[in-house]
Amino acid sequence: MKTGSRILVIDDDQDFVQALVALLEREGHTVLTAHNGRDGVLSAQRERPDLILLDVMMDERTEGFFVAQELRRIPGLTDVPIFVVSSVYTEQPSLKVEPDRAWLGHDAFYRKPIDPNALLADIRAAIAARPGAAVRGATP
Amino acid sequence: MDEAQRGETIVVIDDDHAMRLACEQALAKVGFTVSTYADGAHGLEAVGAARPGLVVVDLKMPGLSGLDVISRINAIDPTITIVVITGYATIGTAVDAMKAGAYDFLPKPFSPDELRLIVRRGFERRRLQMASQQCEIERELERRRFVTFVSHQLKTPLVAVHQYLDVLRQLGETPEAAAKRQEWLGRCLTRTDELRHLIDDWLTLAQLDGGLLGRQRTRLDLSDTVTSVLQTYEAMAARDGVTLTAELAEPIPVHGDPTCVGVLIDNLVANAIKYNRRGGTVTVRGRRAGGEVVVEVEDTGVGVPPDALPRLFDEFYRVRQPGTPKIEGTGLGLPICRRIAAEMGGVIEVESIEGTGSTFRVRLPDAEAAVPVPATGRSS
Repeated sequence: MKTGSRILVIDDDQDFVQALVALLEREGHTVLTAHNGRDGVLSAQRERPDLILLDVMMDERTEGFFVAQELRRIPGLTDVPIFVVSSVYTEQPSLKVEPDRAWLGHDAFYRKPIDPNALLADIRAAIAARPGAAVRGATP
Repeated sequence: MDEAQRGETIVVIDDDHAMRLACEQALAKVGFTVSTYADGAHGLEAVGAARPGLVVVDLKMPGLSGLDVISRINAIDPTITIVVITGYATIGTAVDAMKAGAYDFLPKPFSPDELRLIVRRGFERRRLQMASQQCEIERELERRRFVTFVSHQLKTPLVAVHQYLDVLRQLGETPEAAAKRQEWLGRCLTRTDELRHLIDDWLTLAQLDGGLLGRQRTRLDLSDTVTSVLQTYEAMAARDGVTLTAELAEPIPVHGDPTCVGVLIDNLVANAIKYNRRGGTVTVRGRRAGGEVVVEVEDTGVGVPPDALPRLFDEFYRVRQPGTPKIEGTGLGLPICRRIAAEMGGVIEVESIEGTGSTFRVRLPDAEAAVPVPATGRSS
């Protein structure tokens, strides 16, 4: 089933982005990319994607934290699913930090590298759960 | 009064009613918030509830003694400053009070000015103590942030390689996958190289910091080092269309670890080529000057924006500007150079004009200097 959603990937690692683009495009999605937070916000404002994949540690070290907040303030994007994707968080007990959902305002969190099947399944679920999905003709 | 101390809270504990009144008046008059208690038990209760900045306590009281009060205040909050009031007969006990953690003592009789002076000094010391505690906390936080950051830097290339491989497997044996495979495998090799360099550089830094590298002291001629480094970069320079030239006094005697000196010059020359432009030049100058030797590596490259200069020698710092091509590097080369120069008792400096070029200058002690130049590096 092709959902044909528009997904914005904001990440400064071009190789990681390239791999994700291939994966998402094969699934029938249209992928927009931005390599830093500033371009990501501009692109989100202009393109109104259906879902956003957001990296945390970009040029300004923790840029993604602030980008998430900014994205949430864009009219029309207040409830767009944001999946935060980062390798900064670790399972190692001494360094374990969990992203603060209340503050970051994200909908899901992935440690890099991402399991392709899990990501695709979660994207399908998140997009189907949005009110807009029914309008576009998907089964509610 | 000192405006910074206005409104600070003080608890006075003394069984003598006249003394409580005198202290309260002397301190409240200049803006302190004062409460007084007639015995240790009530005083401690108030200290626990109100957490004053400072406590004035009489040493000789019925019930709980002043010394007991001091140790219990310390148990409640060790940052509370304690001033003890003592009669001349109990000076010996005052010394015990200081050992128990009191900040200072005030022998009776004292004037209001004497009390105010000692209280102000107490608050000032407390302020300095808290500021230094704050610094310690910030240093620890910075250290933890750095560990997180380093592990992120090391994981980044690994994650890219893993993601390529996992997606390739997911795409299966389709024509589109076949087209990507060749390109992606090339990228995987580049990223594993990046990780290898990162680990090598990180190890070099750790060894320099841990004293495992750079302690060897051999007499070296920097002219030889520069000449041999330039030879190894001839091919890379020719490929990039950059001309290498050397202007060297001979010899340039220094004491140092041959490996480290090689790494130092190598990193500077490599940067000068990488951040250059086609048709540009790299000039390495070496001379002896008044007890030190100076080596300059000058390029005609992209230069460094003024706001990036102070952070240039920080670990993992990379100058990133829109419009300039992304140049491969670990962000550890210059921090390594700075450590090596310091280890040899020298310094490294940079001058740069954005868009025109940079000059990195290393100044090291001259091994044949008439008067030995004192080392400025780490001495542990």
